[in-house]
Amino acid sequence: MAEEKNQETKTVPFYPDHITYEAKVALGFGVLLVALGVWGLFNPLGLGPPADPMDTPAHAKPEWYFLFLYQLLKFIPETIGATAPVLGLIALAFLPFLDRKQQKTTRAMLIRGGITLLVTLLLVALSVWGEVS
Amino acid sequence: MNHTFRTILLTVLLISIGLFSAASVHALTAQPPAGGNLSSQGEPPAGMTPEPQKDTCIHCHVSGSFSNIWVPTLRWLTFGSAGLLLLFGVTRSASVWRQREAWTPLPQRVKAWIDERYQLSEFLEPILSKPVPEWQQRWWYCLGGLTFFFFVVQAVTGTMLAFYYKPTPQEAYASIQFIENEVLFGSAVRIIHHWSANAMIIMAFAHMARVFIMGAYKPPRELNWIAGVILLTATLAFGFTGYLLPWDQRAYWATTVGTDIAGAIPVIGELSLIFLRGGWNITAVTLSRFYALHIMILPLVTVLAMLMHFLMVRRQGIMKPL
Repeated sequence: MAEEKNQETKTVPFYPDHITYEAKVALGFGVLLVALGVWGLFNPLGLGPPADPMDTPAHAKPEWYFLFLYQLLKFIPETIGATAPVLGLIALAFLPFLDRKQQKTTRAMLIRGGITLLVTLLLVALSVWGEVS
Repeated sequence: MNHTFRTILLTVLLISIGLFSAASVHALTAQPPAGGNLSSQGEPPAGMTPEPQKDTCIHCHVSGSFSNIWVPTLRWLTFGSAGLLLLFGVTRSASVWRQREAWTPLPQRVKAWIDERYQLSEFLEPILSKPVPEWQQRWWYCLGGLTFFFFVVQAVTGTMLAFYYKPTPQEAYASIQFIENEVLFGSAVRIIHHWSANAMIIMAFAHMARVFIMGAYKPPRELNWIAGVILLTATLAFGFTGYLLPWDQRAYWATTVGTDIAGAIPVIGELSLIFLRGGWNITAVTLSRFYALHIMILPLVTVLAMLMHFLMVRRQGIMKPL
């Protein structure tokens, strides 16, 4: 179960070497976040107009990570459009039981890479469309 | 010289140095009145006698009216010899001090102290010394860790925001304005919280894509993948619940749309909608509910799922690539 380590694989101890490596990556992103914060001191996020239950704005839409779903719902009937993502999520969770083939071929990886690329492009396209409509 | 003697000598010397320095500084630096203050007859100006405390000793004894030199001479001799004795004592103590046995460094002593009581080093040794193969340092293996990093950032910035945020429809909007305008670094914390949320979602998807492409969800890693899906759902739920909290138009109506979609699910839809909104409409109840989810329930679920996820990864190791 544990990963095999053959003679040629160089290894480093988790502490201090690998932890230092991870800390540096985290620090790099931390610096970016601090820079973002400094920028935010002069350009705060701000708020839109306060909530008014009586006044529905023309372009109500969810946050960007749900836009693809929202856009999809515009041409798929509501019932299917609401259940499909939930079923999709459950199917995603059970993926390891649906695909159990063990062979690690490059071909299999490329196929999965292709699927990922397609799905990503689809989601991005739907999100952008959702944003501009 | 034994330890006690050294300590006492050092203390006495240090106190004496202190007193001597104070006396000297006072004696030599007390200022006489500025400018010529004696009249043509050698008298101080009317009503302006030099105050004894502010007049230097030098002033009268050397350049003034006293001609007696024995008193100052005796003073200089006694205090001078005392000073020389002090200097000798200091130098001698310093050299004795430098010859002492070096103490073990503090971190080492702390570690030994803890190990005596809890044997922590023994416990940590296999965890910390685990060998990490070189190939695990490629960039795509960092994505999961980065997701965790952004989660920690969210926890910290979120807590800071929670210090000032008020979760009622009447005060939410104003409290966020207060954070942005009045609280020191409030706008910085808020913008970091906003963008780290987006970054965390992107990293989570990227990490999932990497695991998917490399087929690292296959047996024996099925449960780990399920834990990951739970984490993805929790992350999206964080986003959904957090978005309502500013209680502005965009937040209110985005949540309306979102919960309407949930309501469209057959069989359980209506119940889901009422459960999410705490009623038929979005009200103060909804805000409280979403806030409780956002700061209590979801963090708990996420931490537990992360714990499982990390333990499983640690136990099974990263899947070796082709």
